[in-house]
Amino acid sequence: MNLLHKKLLRELMRMKGQMLAVAAVVACGISVFVSMSSVKYSLEASRERYYSRYRFADVFAQMKRAPEFYSETVSRIPGVASVSSRIVADVTLDVPGLDEPATGRLISIPEYQNIPVLNDLCIKKGRYIEPGKTEEVIASKPFLEANHLLPGDHISAVINGRKKELLIVGMGLSPEYIYEVQPGAFFPDKRRFGVFWMSRRALSSALDMTGAFNDLSLTLAHGASEKDVIMQLDHIFKPYGSLGAYGRNEHLSDRFIQDEIKQVGIQITFLPAIFLAVAVFLLNIVLRRIVATQRDQIAVLKALGYSNEDVGLHYLGFAMIPTAIGAIVGTALGAWLGRGLMGIYADFYNFAELVYLFRLEDVALSVLLSFAAALFGALGAVRSVALLPPAEAMRPDSPVTYRAGFFDRDALRKKMPITLRIIVRNLERRPWKASISVLMIALSVAILIAGRYTYDSLDQMTKVEFIDKHREDITLIFSDPMPPSVRHSIASIKGVIEHEYYREEPVKMSFGYRSRRQSIKGMESASGLQRLVDKSGRQFGLPSDGILLTTTLATILGVRPGDMLEIDFQQGRQLHGNVMVSATIDEILGLSAYMDREALNRLAGDGGALNAAYLRIDQSKAGELNKTFKQMPGVGGVMMLKALKESFDELIAQSMNTSTVILTTFASILAFAVVYNGARISLSERGRELSSLRVLGMTRREISLILLGEQAILTLVAIPLGFLLGIALSVLLAHALSSELYRLPVVFSSFNFLFAFTVIIIISALSGFIVNRRLAKLDLVEALKTKE
Amino acid sequence: MPDNSPEMSLQQAVLQITSLSKSYMMGEVRVDALKNISLNFYAGELAVLLGASGSGKSTLINIIGGLDTPSSGKLFFYGQEITAATESELTAYRRRSIGFVFQFYNLISSLTALENVQLVTEIAENPMSAEEALKLVGLGHRLSHFPAQLSGGEQQRVAIARAVAKRPELLLCDEPTGALDYQTGKLVLDVIEKVNRELGTTTLVITHNASIAGMADRVVRLRSGEVFEDSRNLTRLSPSELVW
Repeated sequence: MNLLHKKLLRELMRMKGQMLAVAAVVACGISVFVSMSSVKYSLEASRERYYSRYRFADVFAQMKRAPEFYSETVSRIPGVASVSSRIVADVTLDVPGLDEPATGRLISIPEYQNIPVLNDLCIKKGRYIEPGKTEEVIASKPFLEANHLLPGDHISAVINGRKKELLIVGMGLSPEYIYEVQPGAFFPDKRRFGVFWMSRRALSSALDMTGAFNDLSLTLAHGASEKDVIMQLDHIFKPYGSLGAYGRNEHLSDRFIQDEIKQVGIQITFLPAIFLAVAVFLLNIVLRRIVATQRDQIAVLKALGYSNEDVGLHYLGFAMIPTAIGAIVGTALGAWLGRGLMGIYADFYNFAELVYLFRLEDVALSVLLSFAAALFGALGAVRSVALLPPAEAMRPDSPVTYRAGFFDRDALRKKMPITLRIIVRNLERRPWKASISVLMIALSVAILIAGRYTYDSLDQMTKVEFIDKHREDITLIFSDPMPPSVRHSIASIKGVIEHEYYREEPVKMSFGYRSRRQSIKGMESASGLQRLVDKSGRQFGLPSDGILLTTTLATILGVRPGDMLEIDFQQGRQLHGNVMVSATIDEILGLSAYMDREALNRLAGDGGALNAAYLRIDQSKAGELNKTFKQMPGVGGVMMLKALKESFDELIAQSMNTSTVILTTFASILAFAVVYNGARISLSERGRELSSLRVLGMTRREISLILLGEQAILTLVAIPLGFLLGIALSVLLAHALSSELYRLPVVFSSFNFLFAFTVIIIISALSGFIVNRRLAKLDLVEALKTKE
Repeated sequence: MPDNSPEMSLQQAVLQITSLSKSYMMGEVRVDALKNISLNFYAGELAVLLGASGSGKSTLINIIGGLDTPSSGKLFFYGQEITAATESELTAYRRRSIGFVFQFYNLISSLTALENVQLVTEIAENPMSAEEALKLVGLGHRLSHFPAQLSGGEQQRVAIARAVAKRPELLLCDEPTGALDYQTGKLVLDVIEKVNRELGTTTLVITHNASIAGMADRVVRLRSGEVFEDSRNLTRLSPSELVW
């Protein structure tokens, strides 16, 4: 270690507070980058590994009932590598320990090969079903765990109107249900929805589906056209009530994971960028100050024969060492956070194996980026060091020049006390530095706002979805479309107060060259149990004749209100018709199309069928009603609004709390680093002045006011700006995180602003307090002996 | 040695210094900056404390000004013991009774000449107006200039105006001409002499420049932390008559 290194280390130690603040900002940026990029990579890798190991299909199709030999036909379509036909049915379950009915999705698996050709199972506990034992099932892991069930337990299901006891022999997972949600729901309710795999023979005999299937999966050969295969499938299965084949990109579970990966990718970019920008700024101001106070030393070093490069590199060390410390701490923290985050993902997503992969490339990239930022921040100061001629460096820096500014107009000046005048002039003299300080503090406010924005957004989502939009207690989903007469039998159930029905008709919608598989919901009213409410809470009416599309769906199809949409019904009489788009509604969840039920019946050319019922019930009779629904034939699914809300709240609380804590901590570090460094540099610049003021008889409180007043003004100006930036950042995030699955509403609670305000004030007060303690140590005598 | 001449003992002693010593550690070396000094200063006196660098004159003036504390001995200001004062009492003492003039002026660069003086008049109990103080030092026409727009001599005169504006009982000038050229230095001494004469402020000027001694009523010479001569001038020279 040469002497310059020693000098560097000793001086870094002397200013360790400031240097640690810089290192902490770098560490935050790097840890976000490392954790998020490792999470992204781990999710991608876990997904790929899961899909390939368990042979997740490429294309999926559901139909009413197709003869078994068609699976052979499909396997001969050019581009199809392997085909698997199955029987899938949704049934009502009676789960031990659960009062309400639950919904089970039964999926057939081969009895003999012990292995499905596609969409294979990962058995986590227990075993595969044994041939000939028709009561045996493998149940999905999240459902079993949520209900505290184990292999060996029994569960009963109503299959095709008959109650059947099922014996759980295994606990399994499938790549099809990484995100396990009930059809028609968006959020998992692990207790009330589970997937069950049982023998094909048992299921086909229970459902009268012998020699037939209603679900098809296939994989594509390398280079095959998914679009062509889908077209052929749609052609083949049109007569068999096909709902239209689709690729992985429309598979609900895969969509959720893809969206999650995309969202993580967005976080990789925006947060580290903010942190690095702040690091650049901090290094810039800190280094400029070091160089200003060490002019004489620079001169001496040069006079002694050190080259410009030696001296320049020495000062560059002031930027590089804290950056290096930040990089090391940030990488370790990032790896730890990444592993922790993957643990949270493991609760959301059911991977057979969730691997945590930490890539050295990501670390190298983030470290490289932070060093580039450090270099950029230090460049100006280091250049000035290298260019400074020794003789000039020997002379003190030219005196600070002040001029009369805006606040020096007579009227204003007379009202301002002298201390305030000192503060204002300091700010006026270096408007750029002041503005950038304000911007940096504002950025931390913005991160706080954007970090909590999702809370408000999800609150609004809960309000719109669970209070404004849905007012029913229970949704009964029929296994097969029911005739209108079903209302009489439901009305006669004791305890049902209100009942409302809807028709859900799968169609292909086309406009020009664009088309989309979609179902149309035919509603009886938009002011009863289910309402039409957009993401800001505005209520919509049901068009009497046209169709109401969600904004995202309209955008996908390229239609505007007034356009005529072509409709091809996939089931029933499979008619072709046209309907006018009456309006668009910006809903939070999914893609939907709404029509008046009568109008939909007319368009479908039939007398109408009902697919589900919304019920409002007398809560005192809930127990009896639950018993009734558990055994009710023809019901494929039961959804409890209250239970859905509870599981949604639980899910959100779990994930949001972690991310809010992380973001709040990081934003606080950012704010602290900016305010603390600002005050420390002010103290260094003005120490002599402040000492003079003390000698002249000012109290410590009065000089604190001058020193910290400046930071206080910067902070107070930064807060409203931070609010605006936070809103802008949240809008950008909402936009970037929006997908076909959901759109985050842009809403802000006053608590969000109050929280950000309080955090920043506390942080500023804390850094002010720490710097203020240094004021007590000002050497009054020394200040008078030295020239600036 | 204290000046206890009969005519002086009739006058009130502004400062009474008894057996004052100060030593401090410089690294690992013990430095005895002041050794058992006893001195009195009287109202209206203009005293020059003369000494080479290291003689202890700055340490003495710092203790008198309440910026430093002695290792032993006592200091009384109008009978009040300053050496026993608390931090806040010292602040009040500086605020009320002491005017400081420093070698490097120590003006606040972000304040104009007028405001630098107002800095003191705002917190003093019975100050003269800042304009008046600046007129007294001949800067009535430079009120709204910032330090960077003033010459060294002008800056020092602003510092003197700032020091006297509060009508202090004691004006302490630490090498007031140290950073100034010959002509400007004399101009500044002129102002100090004028303040002493017109306002009657007890004034202590510390300097290593022996020629300045001619303008004083009394000259205290310090050497190695001790008073080695305490004499009176029979006549005070005007600063314009001084030569160095």
